Amino acid sequence: MTSIYKVLIVDDEKSFLDVLAPFLKRAGFLVETALDGNTALARIKQFEPDVIVLDVLIPEPDGREVCRRLRALGNWTPIIMLSQIGDPQERAMSLGEGADDYLNKPFDPGELVARIRALLRRARQFQPSFASAHRLAFGPLVIDRLSRRAWLDKRELALSAKAFSVLEYLMCHPDQVITREQLLDAIWGWDYPATTRTVDVRIAELRKQLKDDSKAPRFIETIIGVGYRFVGSVEVCA
Amino acid sequence: MTMTSTRLRYALVLGGIPSILGLSLALVLQSNIFPNLLLKGQIIIDLGTLMLLSSLMLSGIAWAGSFLSWYCLRRGAQALAEESKRHTDKHHRFIRRLEHEMKTPLAVLQVSLASLDQQYCPGDQERQAVRSAIARLHRLIQDLRKLADLETYSLEQKPVDLAELLQETISAVQDAPGRSGRSISLITSRIPWPLASVKGDRDLLMLAFYNLLDNACKFTHPGDAIEVRIREDGTAVTVDVADNGPGIAEEDLPYLFEELYRGKNARNIEGNGLGLAVVKKIVECHDGRITVRSRPGQGTVFTVQLPQL
Repeated sequence: MTSIYKVLIVDDEKSFLDVLAPFLKRAGFLVETALDGNTALARIKQFEPDVIVLDVLIPEPDGREVCRRLRALGNWTPIIMLSQIGDPQERAMSLGEGADDYLNKPFDPGELVARIRALLRRARQFQPSFASAHRLAFGPLVIDRLSRRAWLDKRELALSAKAFSVLEYLMCHPDQVITREQLLDAIWGWDYPATTRTVDVRIAELRKQLKDDSKAPRFIETIIGVGYRFVGSVEVCA
Repeated sequence: MTMTSTRLRYALVLGGIPSILGLSLALVLQSNIFPNLLLKGQIIIDLGTLMLLSSLMLSGIAWAGSFLSWYCLRRGAQALAEESKRHTDKHHRFIRRLEHEMKTPLAVLQVSLASLDQQYCPGDQERQAVRSAIARLHRLIQDLRKLADLETYSLEQKPVDLAELLQETISAVQDAPGRSGRSISLITSRIPWPLASVKGDRDLLMLAFYNLLDNACKFTHPGDAIEVRIREDGTAVTVDVADNGPGIAEEDLPYLFEELYRGKNARNIEGNGLGLAVVKKIVECHDGRITVRSRPGQGTVFTVQLPQL
């Protein structure tokens, strides 16, 4: 039997809710909407959604505050925050409040459906949400996602902002093959006209800092013609 | 900072010269260097003291005047800088608000179109027209966001090999839809020494040169030639992006880097008038400068100068 998953969309633009809700319903979800933070918190209690799509800029309390309050209450319902993608500051802020994913408006609604399904899959498998973890570690490598710093054998690495974001993305998706296009889309954000070589440059920077040998990788493996994979088993640090 | 220290130097010179001259004259008069002047010894000594006091007084006045003028100039420069910052901040806020106000209606359009595709077979001509219009607005919003982001972007400061970066940028442009067929050549001066690197943000520099090259492609036809020339003069690395397109009208040149400005020749060419504004912003973020020369009917050369490492 296929379950019908419940999605709550929170946005202060009624015209947006009026078109997005029917779209998600047709995609097979049970959908509720809220126009502000207080209504959202009340709806979450009654409706018990499986995923929340939450705009940052909503009337008080704003999206971040809603997210923070839910996490403080021990509610770990996956949240997709509608905020600026690619901006490390914004990303760190959303992360600090415990968002699981983020998407920037205007977006392809098909992409939203794909992300909702991905979060549901992860929740079904009871996999830990790396997306909302502050610190991740694999062996001697530790990254702090809020302060955007990384350490290898307790020695801090001098990584550029982009290289850190690549490492962070790979560690959040351990053992998954990540294509160069996926990395460009997730990290460079705005329609950056890069070639895949741009990604390779950052991977080279990372390998140099991590003292990682591409022929016998300890951290980042090259999947020829496709992309990269973080080879370690990542853990969430306290 | 440089202006202020220049003014301070002027003030020191203006105040210091009368003081030094007065003191030197007084000392000369009191010395025995010119014995014939000592015929009226007492009077001469008194004259020396008088000269010394006068010179001290005059130099004091000169110092006070110089300080006052330096202070007024400094205050003026500060006020000008504050005014300019206020204007930039206001402009930045406007761009942010514009982007925010545009993105919600666009998101509604985008979801509505996807809904229509979901319910009915996609592909009719009207929906294709709506899709193109949405894509154009999407592009405009993204470019506005780039401009706004550049105001607060934390610039990476790493050595960048421009020759390698431009080669990569040329490949990226040639791979873009509708841009193939142009012959883009890269001419790098390598003798007697290799080209120096510049310090900066590789991704942003690539975006700037991509926009320039994409522009050159837009205004030329398949088979036309585009040249990218790199050279250095010991202090800066200079990149020319030259095309043999239709050129730009002289009256359009002063406004070319303004946001949303579109020249007469650009009316029927895709674009939104933000690409060159983004390029200028990126070049200025790198302490560089961009200029343009154009001859209608012959072509255009954009020249970017970046301080070399």
